[in-house]
Amino acid sequence: MSVPAYREPQTPAPYEDEERTRRELEVTWAQPPGLWNWIRSVDHKSVAKRYIVTAFVFFVLAGLQAAMMRAQLSRPENHILGPDAYNQFFTVHGVTMMFLFAVPIMEAMGLYLVPLMIGARNVAFPRLNAYGYWVYLAGGLFLYIAFFLNTGPDVGWFGYVPLSGPEFSPGKRADVYAQSITFTEIAALAGAVEIIVTAFKNRAPGMTLNRMPLLVWAMLVQAFMILFAMPWVATATQFLAMDRLVATHFFNYAEGGDALLWQHLFWFFGHPEVYIIFIPALGFVSSIVATFTRRPVFGYPVMVLSMVATGFLGFGLWVHHMFATGIPLLGESFFTGASMMIAIPSGIQIFCWIATIWSGRPRFTVPFLFVLGFIVIFIIGGFTGVMLASVPFDQQVHDSYFVVAHFHYVLIGGAVFPLFGAFYYWFPKMTGRMLSERLGRWNFGLFFIGMNLTFFPMHQLGLEGMPRRVYTYLPETGWGHLNLLASIGAAVIALSMLIFVINVAVSLRNGVLAGDNPWGGETLEWATSSPPRPYNFAQIPVVSGRAPLWEEPDEMPVVTGLRTDVRDVLVTTMLDAEPDSKHRHPIPSSWPLITAIATTILFVTLIFTPWGAVIGTPLFLLALLGWGWPRGRDKREQQLVESEG
Amino acid sequence: MRPTRAVADVRALPRTVFGNRSLMWWGTVGFIMIEGSTLFICVVTYFYLRRNFATWPPEHILRPALLIPTIQAAVMLLSNIPMRGVDRASKRMDLAGVRSAMVICSILIVIMCVLRAFEFSALKVRWDTSAYGSVAWATLVAHGTLLLLETAETLAITVLLFQPNVEDRDLSGVSDNALYWYFLTGVWIPLYVMVFLTPYFM
Repeated sequence: MSVPAYREPQTPAPYEDEERTRRELEVTWAQPPGLWNWIRSVDHKSVAKRYIVTAFVFFVLAGLQAAMMRAQLSRPENHILGPDAYNQFFTVHGVTMMFLFAVPIMEAMGLYLVPLMIGARNVAFPRLNAYGYWVYLAGGLFLYIAFFLNTGPDVGWFGYVPLSGPEFSPGKRADVYAQSITFTEIAALAGAVEIIVTAFKNRAPGMTLNRMPLLVWAMLVQAFMILFAMPWVATATQFLAMDRLVATHFFNYAEGGDALLWQHLFWFFGHPEVYIIFIPALGFVSSIVATFTRRPVFGYPVMVLSMVATGFLGFGLWVHHMFATGIPLLGESFFTGASMMIAIPSGIQIFCWIATIWSGRPRFTVPFLFVLGFIVIFIIGGFTGVMLASVPFDQQVHDSYFVVAHFHYVLIGGAVFPLFGAFYYWFPKMTGRMLSERLGRWNFGLFFIGMNLTFFPMHQLGLEGMPRRVYTYLPETGWGHLNLLASIGAAVIALSMLIFVINVAVSLRNGVLAGDNPWGGETLEWATSSPPRPYNFAQIPVVSGRAPLWEEPDEMPVVTGLRTDVRDVLVTTMLDAEPDSKHRHPIPSSWPLITAIATTILFVTLIFTPWGAVIGTPLFLLALLGWGWPRGRDKREQQLVESEG
Repeated sequence: MRPTRAVADVRALPRTVFGNRSLMWWGTVGFIMIEGSTLFICVVTYFYLRRNFATWPPEHILRPALLIPTIQAAVMLLSNIPMRGVDRASKRMDLAGVRSAMVICSILIVIMCVLRAFEFSALKVRWDTSAYGSVAWATLVAHGTLLLLETAETLAITVLLFQPNVEDRDLSGVSDNALYWYFLTGVWIPLYVMVFLTPYFM
C-alpha cells in the first residue's frame, strides 16, 4: 500500500514557547492529590495502572488457589481440600485467570500503551474508560465476596449446563458465576471500543495505518475480537441466569431447550478468548524483539496480516472443544482442518521474530529472556494443540491432564511470559525506575523451570488416564510421583512470583532512574518523560516512518495550535492520520463510579429477584443522565472553545 | 525530553464535525456492533431451538397476534423519516429544524415503548411455557432494553435542545443519536419477521 507522506503546510506556525505551553498544560491536565480526586481521575495511565495492579492481585489470588490445588494433589488421598471446596477452587481459579486477570490485564496494557505509542494525550472516551474499570472491580469483588462466603461458583469456568442449571445447582453459586461474567464482559467491551476508536482516530499526524506499531495492531485485532466474541458469553450467561431465575427453558431439554446450545454459545466466545489473551502478547514480543535486537521486526506486513488472519481464524475453531459431544463427521473434519490452519499464521510470526533476532544484535536483558522463554514454551503448547486438533487423539485424552498441560503451556507460555517481559520492559516508563536485572533473571529462571516442572509431567499423567477436575486419586493409580513433581514445580513458580513482587517493591523506591528511553526503543512512548506527564506529550508528535525515534533521533517534529487552557486533543483521519479536527476532552468526574455503582445494584439484585430490573434500571438511567448532562466547568469550557471561531 | 521542531499548525481545524470524522460516531458504531451481535445471538438461538420441535410454534401454543407487532414495525420503519430530518437539520446547524423533528421522534419512541409492552401479550406464549416462548421473549426483551435506553437518550437530548446555550457539539451528538436510531429501528424489521411471522410458515 502506498501512502502519501505527511505534507508540511506552506506556512508553518511560529515556534511557540515550549516552557509556557508545558506550564499551562500542567495546570489544565493536573491530577490533584487526594482520594476523591484519585477516584475521579479519567487519565488513561492512572486508570490502566489501577487495572494492572487489580488484575495482578487477582492473578495472585488465583495463583494461591492453584497452589492449594497442587498441595491437595501432591499425594494420593490427601485431605487438604474436600471435594466441594476443590470444585470451587478450580472454578474460581479458572474464572479469575480468564475473566479477571488475562483479558483485563492485556487490555489494560493496551489502554496504557496505545495512546502513548500513537502520540495521543488520552484514550478517545476517558470517562467510559474509568467506568469500565469500576465495573470490572465490582465484578471481581462480587466473585470473591461470594467465594469467601462459601458461595463461590463450582461448575467450572465453562459453566456447562445442565450441571449449572436450576436442577443440579440449587443455591446461588452458578448465579454468581453468570453475573460476575456479565460485569467483566461489560468492562472488556468498553475497553475494546476505547482501543479501536483511539487507534483509528487519535494517531499522531503521519502515522498511517501501515506505520502503526505492531503492538497497536495487536491491540486493535484483540479489541475487534472482543467486540464480536464477548457478546456470546454475555448473552449465554444471561440465558442461564434467566433459566435459573424466571424458569425459561433455553437449556432445559424437557421443554425444547438444548444443552449443546450452551456449549456452542460458550465456545464461540471461549475459543476466540484464547486469542484475545494471546494476540496482545504477540505485540509485546514484537516491541521487545525490535528494541533488543536494534532492528525493526522483519516482515512488518506479514506480521500484521498474520495477526489479522489469527483474529479471523480464531472464530472458526470453537467446535474443537466439543469433539466428544458427537457432532457430525463433516463438522469434525472441518474444525480439525481449521484448528491446524491457525498454526500457520502463528508459525509465520515465530519465523519473523527468529529472522529479526538472527539478523540483529540481541541483548539478553530480562524482557528479552522472557521472549525467548515464550518462544520455547509456546511452541511446545502449539505442538500439543495440533495433536489435540486431531479427533481420534482428542477423544483419547479428552478431559484428561493432557489438556490441562496443553492449555497452560499455551496460556502461560503464550501470554504470561510475554506479559512479564512487558512488565520489565515498560516498568521504567510507567514508574520512572528500572526493575532490578539480577532479581529479574532469578524471576525468569525460576518461572521457566517451575512452569515446565509443573505442567510437563501433566502430559504424561493425561496419557496415563488421570482425569481433570478430580480432587484426589488412589495410590494404586501410580500417579503420585508425577503429581508430586508438578506440585514442587508450583512451589517454584510461587517463589519466582515472590521474587517479582519483591523486585517491584524494592525498585519502586530504590530502582535506578530510567530516563525517557532507557532501552533505546523506537516507538513514541519513549519520546516522552518517564513516567509521562498527565498530558503525555506537550506537543503532538508528527511521524514519517515506523520507527520514529530511530529515524529522527535528534529532534521531534511536532504540531502546534492545540489549546493549553482546556484538555484539547487532535483527531486525525482513519487511514492516513491527517489532522482533521480538534476535540475537547472531559474533565475528571465521579459519574463513571456512580454509574458503575448503579450497574452493580442492577446486576446483584437481579440474582435474587426479577424486580432487580425495576429497581436497578431507573438508577442506571439516572446515573447516565447525570454523566451526560452538560454543566459546570465542562459546559463553560465547551462554550469557550466553541466561541473561538 | 528531545528538542522539538514545529512542522504544522492545527489552530484552524474545526471542532464540530459529523459522521465518521467524529469520535462519538465511532463510539456509536462500536456499540452498534456489540448490540447487533447480541441480537444476532438471539436469532441463532431461535433457529437452533427450532430444530427441537416438530411444529413451530410447538403443539398447543397459539400463533402470535399480528396487529400490534405490525403497527410497531411500521412505526419503527416510518420513524426514520423524521429522524432523517433531524440528522439533516443538525448537519445544517439548523437548531429550530432539529428541535421540531426531535419532538416528533420523542413522541414516536414513547409510542414504540407502549407498543412493545403490548407486543409481549401478542406473543400469546409465556417465557416459561417452552423454549419457544423463552427465545421469543428474550428477543423482545433484548431489543426492548435497547429501545428503553434509546428512549431515555432521545428524551434527554430533546430536553437539552430546548435549554439556552445549545452547543454545536450537541448537534453533532444529535446526528450520532440518529445513527443509533437507524440501527435500532432497522434491525427490528428482520427480528419482527422472525418472532411474529416465522411461526406462520416454518
